[in-house]
Amino acid sequence: MAIKVKLYSLFRKYIDDRQVELDYEENKTIRDLIKSLDDKYDSVFSQKLIGEDEAINPGAIILVNGQNIHHLDKLDTELKDGDILAIFPPSAGG
Amino acid sequence: MSKIGEAKILRVDLTKGETKEETLAPEMVKKYLGGRGLASKLLADEIDPGIDALSPENRLIFANGLLTGTNASTGGRYMVVTKGPLTGTIASSNSGGYFGAELRFAGYDMIVFQGKSEKPVYLQLMDGKAELKDASHVWGKKVDETTDILVEESGDERAKVSCIGPAGENQVLFASIMNDKNRAAGRTGVGAVMGSKNLKALVVRGDKSNFDYDKESLMKVVKKQTQILKDDGVTGEGLPTYGTKVLDNIINETGGYPTRNFQEATFEGTEEISGEALVEKGYLQKKKACYACPIACGRDTKLPSGRSGEGPEYETGWSFGAACGVNDLNAITEANYMCNELGLDTISAGATIAAAMELYEKGHIDREKLNNGPELKFGSSEAIVYYTKAMAYREGIGDDLALGSARLGEKYGMPGVSMAVKKQELPAYDPRALQGMALNYATSNRGGCHVRGYLVSPEVLGVPEKLDPQDLDSKPEWAKTYQDLTALIDSIGVCLFTSFALNADDYCELVNAVTDYDLSTDEFMEIGDRIYTLERQFNLEAGLTKADDTLPKRLLEEGIPDGPMKGKVAHLDKMLPKYYELRGWDENGVPTADTLNKLGLEVL
Repeated sequence: MAIKVKLYSLFRKYIDDRQVELDYEENKTIRDLIKSLDDKYDSVFSQKLIGEDEAINPGAIILVNGQNIHHLDKLDTELKDGDILAIFPPSAGG
Repeated sequence: MSKIGEAKILRVDLTKGETKEETLAPEMVKKYLGGRGLASKLLADEIDPGIDALSPENRLIFANGLLTGTNASTGGRYMVVTKGPLTGTIASSNSGGYFGAELRFAGYDMIVFQGKSEKPVYLQLMDGKAELKDASHVWGKKVDETTDILVEESGDERAKVSCIGPAGENQVLFASIMNDKNRAAGRTGVGAVMGSKNLKALVVRGDKSNFDYDKESLMKVVKKQTQILKDDGVTGEGLPTYGTKVLDNIINETGGYPTRNFQEATFEGTEEISGEALVEKGYLQKKKACYACPIACGRDTKLPSGRSGEGPEYETGWSFGAACGVNDLNAITEANYMCNELGLDTISAGATIAAAMELYEKGHIDREKLNNGPELKFGSSEAIVYYTKAMAYREGIGDDLALGSARLGEKYGMPGVSMAVKKQELPAYDPRALQGMALNYATSNRGGCHVRGYLVSPEVLGVPEKLDPQDLDSKPEWAKTYQDLTALIDSIGVCLFTSFALNADDYCELVNAVTDYDLSTDEFMEIGDRIYTLERQFNLEAGLTKADDTLPKRLLEEGIPDGPMKGKVAHLDKMLPKYYELRGWDENGVPTADTLNKLGLEVL
């Protein structure tokens, strides 16, 4: 299945790209996706997105088709073909 | 000598041209702390809330927070409190930079202006001496020019200036007061009140040794809190690197980014104007910090033309960007620079142009009315720049724009075009996507505003915990807590952004470190409740009612047409009764006698 990940904020600084497209087998979760991005890019994704207790890092934002995974199955949210993710390290403004 | 807990006031009677010193009772300081709280109490005591905001009877109060000028992280904030001309409510506007701290070093916690000067004047406070001086030569000048001239005249290049630009002089109802050139007490039209008093500026220079407090006790707390701010992902890395504009993509991706005057909630041009773009296009020169700030979210920028300045921040980037359908970062930044120079609130300026664009596109404003100006079409870079200037100088249709979107919509036969609460334009979050913000907007004591309880933090950012933005049951309690805590932050003189990492216990610890109050966190939070309820009383006395605690009809009745929040509306009716109950207000939103008694407030 094809998954698109839109990168924002500090991720662009580390990766120097606006998005990555990934091709996966079925039955993958957000946690799996973060791990595979880590393999490619020096663990920066789990550092910013996953806290010490293996939960979503406070302030980190992971959206699947605009829905925050906090209100889905969190890091265990299953991915579907064509999903578009947007990921943000802890960020804020006003 | 300024001492924490003994509020020293300089009262300036502009009609008589006289100044005098006063000191407030320590019990009053303990009840309201400083800044927003203490100045609101003073205003409520001294004026009839029903007066015309632009009349000499109004007061214009510059007030430091309890901790302004100390070493507390971000402890450089001051408030301007007055009755607001845009909303008719109590107005209070907060600013950073270095002016507030300098005012503290000059020996004052508050400056209260009353009356109206016959001719333009400015107040100079140098070496402990207060003097009203002729300002005819700077009347009409922009903020940056005025600042340079008055600093030079003071003879001390370290003097700090807070002033109005042409927009304040011309009493544009959303004119700002600017300090340190680019820092704004932006909202609620405080600059128009200053202009109505023929007061151009305050020039201040003090001596730090004149400010006495327990530095050792405070430093222990500050050291710990500065580390928390540095270790936190938001205040330690996110805000310093991309500034507030990192929010553009977040709010757009979550489907709450008001576009073309709230007709849509996602903007196709966001990528071009985002905080990331500001860096990628090379506009960002360096980050900039206010007094005692370890975060440094400010942005020094430069355009390809060579013109430089500060901004845009998230709100400004939105108001001239998505709200007007403009995807041209160059024009947005230029409009921002102009607002800083002319002294305009960037949110209301951009959002009023957005309303005018909808009026024009729907045929309510004729082409002839624009004289030779550019067409008011969504997406027009030319229009945002041209009409920003026109409204500051009140030229042509700019004279109508200067009244804000609510009065503009009424004049041109489409009141529903105004995306405002209590006549103040809403900021950059669609309340249909964030129900907590819907409640906050509707109940903000200064009209449509995001910094009277920033529930975006739990609803979108997940700080301190993630709330479902569409949940209704939990929001009244969150709204009250955030509103009360924000009132406290505004009263102690630190920056709201610290609250991404610090909590009520932390702020209470700061207060206890420099006073003998020994407050529990509950007692501390009750002060916030007192301030919020006092502001509410002022507004009720000014003639506002429950009917004003509402949102534009579009946001209550028309579902979001696009994006992840498609179909959502704001469910205010399901939250407001519970909110009133939690506040101890009756079903009409009026504080009950029991509530007033509990909070130590009197009937005005």
